[in-house]
This record gives sequence, structure tokens and C-alpha cells, in this order.
Amino acid sequence: MTAISFTLNGRPVSTDIEPHRNLVELLQRFDLFGSRESCGQGLCGCCTVLVDDKAVSGCLYFAVWVDGKRVATVEHLDADGRLSPVQQAFIDTGAFQCGFCTPGFILMAHQLLKEHPNPSDDDIRHYLSGNLCRCGAYPEIIEAVKLAAKATSKAAA
Amino acid sequence: MIPFEMVEATSLKEALSMLDPQEPAIRPVAGGTALMLMMKAGVFQPTRLICLHRIEPEYARITLGASGELRIGAMASLREVEKDANVAARLPVLHRAMRTLSNVRVRNVARVGGALAHGDPHMDLPPILAALGARISVAGPKGERQLPLEQLYTGYYETVLDRNELITSVLVPPLNGRKAAYMKVTSRTADDWPSLGVAVSFALADGAIRDPIVVVSAATEKVTRMSGVEKVLQSTAPEDAALRRAGDAAADEVQTLSDAHGSAPYKRELLRVYLRRAVRQALNESVH
Repeated sequence: MTAISFTLNGRPVSTDIEPHRNLVELLQRFDLFGSRESCGQGLCGCCTVLVDDKAVSGCLYFAVWVDGKRVATVEHLDADGRLSPVQQAFIDTGAFQCGFCTPGFILMAHQLLKEHPNPSDDDIRHYLSGNLCRCGAYPEIIEAVKLAAKATSKAAA
Repeated sequence: MIPFEMVEATSLKEALSMLDPQEPAIRPVAGGTALMLMMKAGVFQPTRLICLHRIEPEYARITLGASGELRIGAMASLREVEKDANVAARLPVLHRAMRTLSNVRVRNVARVGGALAHGDPHMDLPPILAALGARISVAGPKGERQLPLEQLYTGYYETVLDRNELITSVLVPPLNGRKAAYMKVTSRTADDWPSLGVAVSFALADGAIRDPIVVVSAATEKVTRMSGVEKVLQSTAPEDAALRRAGDAAADEVQTLSDAHGSAPYKRELLRVYLRRAVRQALNESVH
């Protein structure tokens, strides 16, 4: 067991964890299930988590490595009681069916819009190429990201 | 994954002292993205991992030397290489490849040194850097040594590194007008491990290719420099017939391996065609 302390969705937390556990397993201990291990190989993006503002695959990230870091999951996005522009855009465009992959797509879209506030189609495809949606909602997801970009730039103006 | 111990080195020296030349179940870990896949598959079962995240930050820096040589610290993440202004301006072939080498999340975490030391012939960085004439700096108990990257690999997931040695940096010489390109082929999805990788670099003088470096990966047991193909290309004008001869020479020179990404004969034909395409791509790109 290794003792770790980190910031989880804005709140300081401490726990003990075995070195062979990954970040998804750590989050489950805090009743956070938005990050899901699906392919287990970093390909599908369902386990996306932000560590120090960078998107990582939670299934390929040792839990002990978040010691001293800031961890954010999809659950932090509506912490103030309001959906984020990306979340709202996913609803407005119907960018999901079963919803299993949605948290990962939403966090990757947040990372994209932070780095490219007005993303091109190519930027969107590039950032989301590591996320798989087995319902095939890709056209709506791309629309959602564009809508969120518009909403965000309008809010900032 | 089965349980193991993880210890954190706080300096390069400490990391080296924690490694054991005789013990394969003790291994260093940088980004861990490749190692975790092996551990999940049960192919690698460590007793102890030596985490390198907290060694001196200089080993993660990317710096430009006075001679135009880029020194890429082994602990630099792939994303840091991708975003580095000097890499983008001076080594466009490397900058471009980063986008196709894995997704953003993996690039945020995976480190250059790990990608080289892992010895997986399917990875993209080794052939590209080898074709650019890169050397690596390796630290061990007896000090530091340098070797050409192309000499690192001895077999499938096998390198010349001792178990208590670590790559500290990659040194990439300036292109100095040389043309360079990397092409890979994936047979299932675009983000799959490649069936073939081909990297080339060469100078052009009076319309003829000079001093080519040609490297093949993924289709072969290890990243391999093709000196026979280089001889065919040397001092020839890159016209269709000459490139066809070079492609045929490439298909004859190396032994391709069958795996889930394609049969050996299929990969041999890919090499025949993609060698030509890689040379053409190098000619068409506007690098200085």
C-alpha cells in the first residue's frame, strides 16, 4: 500500500492504494464512475481523466502517480449546478445513444477547446480520434463540439 | 495486473543504483503506457518498478545546441516533442509524425526514452530518429556512453542496453538541407499498430540523391537500416525507374515477418511500394 494525497475535483483527498491499481480503479473508490475501463489499452477513451489539466487514459495510468497532482473527472463539470457548454451541446445535438463513451468524449472536447477555442474539422477529428463510439454518433459529436465552441466564444465575448 | 512494488527514484544516479543487472523482474518505468499493456496481458510480471518521474527535470528538456543539434531529454513526453517550436521548425518529419503515432492521451503520458528503450519494432519514433542520424546517450554505473540509435536494437524487443542502464537523451543532428520522410501502413484501422514503417533521409546534389539513410520498421524483427537500398539510391536521380529498382532491392534485402497486421509476403510488397512513396514524399515536402 502506498499513501497518496491529491486534489480530486477541487477537493483535497488522501487514501492508500496498491501500486498495481490504475486510475480508474482509484476513482471507483471515491464513488466516481464517469471514467470507465472499456478497451483497457488506451484506444477507446472511455476512461479519460484530466491529470494536471492534461487528458490521460485512466486505464493506462498508475493510481499512485496522481500523488500531489490535480485530478478532474467528468463529474466536476457541473459542480456549480450547471452543465458545461460541451455537456449542453451534446444534449442539444443528441450526440449519444447509450452514453457509455460520452464522458470520455466530453473531457477530450474540453481539452480540445482549451487548446483550440475555434477548432477546425481536422482539429476535432484529431483530438477525438482516440475515442470510440460504438453507437456511431460521430457526426452528432462533431456537431456538438462545434456548437460548444460557438457557445464558449460567445460567452467569452 | 498482479501486485508488485513501485519505488520512486529522485535522481538519475539513484535510479541507476536501484536497477539490478541480473534481475529482469525489476524494470524502470517512464510513461508506462507500453509497459502496462504488457503487464495487463501477463507478458511482463515485475516484482518492482523504478519510477523515473522525479529524477532531475533536465532529463525532460528539449534544447537546441549551437551546432543546430537538438537534444531531446528521454523523459520528455511525446506531446512535449510535438509542441516544441524547434522540433516543428527544424524537424518537420518528426513533428508531423507525432500526430499519427498515438492519440493525444497517450502522447501526454508516454516518454521518448521509453518509446526507444522498449524495443517494440512497431513503434514510429525509432525508425524516424534513426533515419535522421540520431544518437542516444546512455547512462550506467560506469558513466555515460553514446551510440547511434540504429545500433540500439538487436532483436524483437531486444536492445544492447544492460538492465542497469538508462537512455538519458536523444541527439538529433540538423537536417542541413537533407530531405526526410516517414510513411507507415496500418492494415486495420488508422490508429492500429503498423504493418510497415519506412523512414528515409537524403541530400540532393545536382538532382541526384546523396548519402541516403533508409530504415524499415514494423514489418521486420527489429528496426533495420537497409544499406543495400542505400547503395542503389546513392548518386541516382530519383526518377521512376530508379525508385522502382530501390523498391525491389528493399523487398529483397530484409526478411519480413507475418503477424496480425499482415503476412510476410504482403509486407514485402508493401515495402516495395512504400519505399518509393517515402522517397517521393521526402522530395515533395518543403523543408529547409
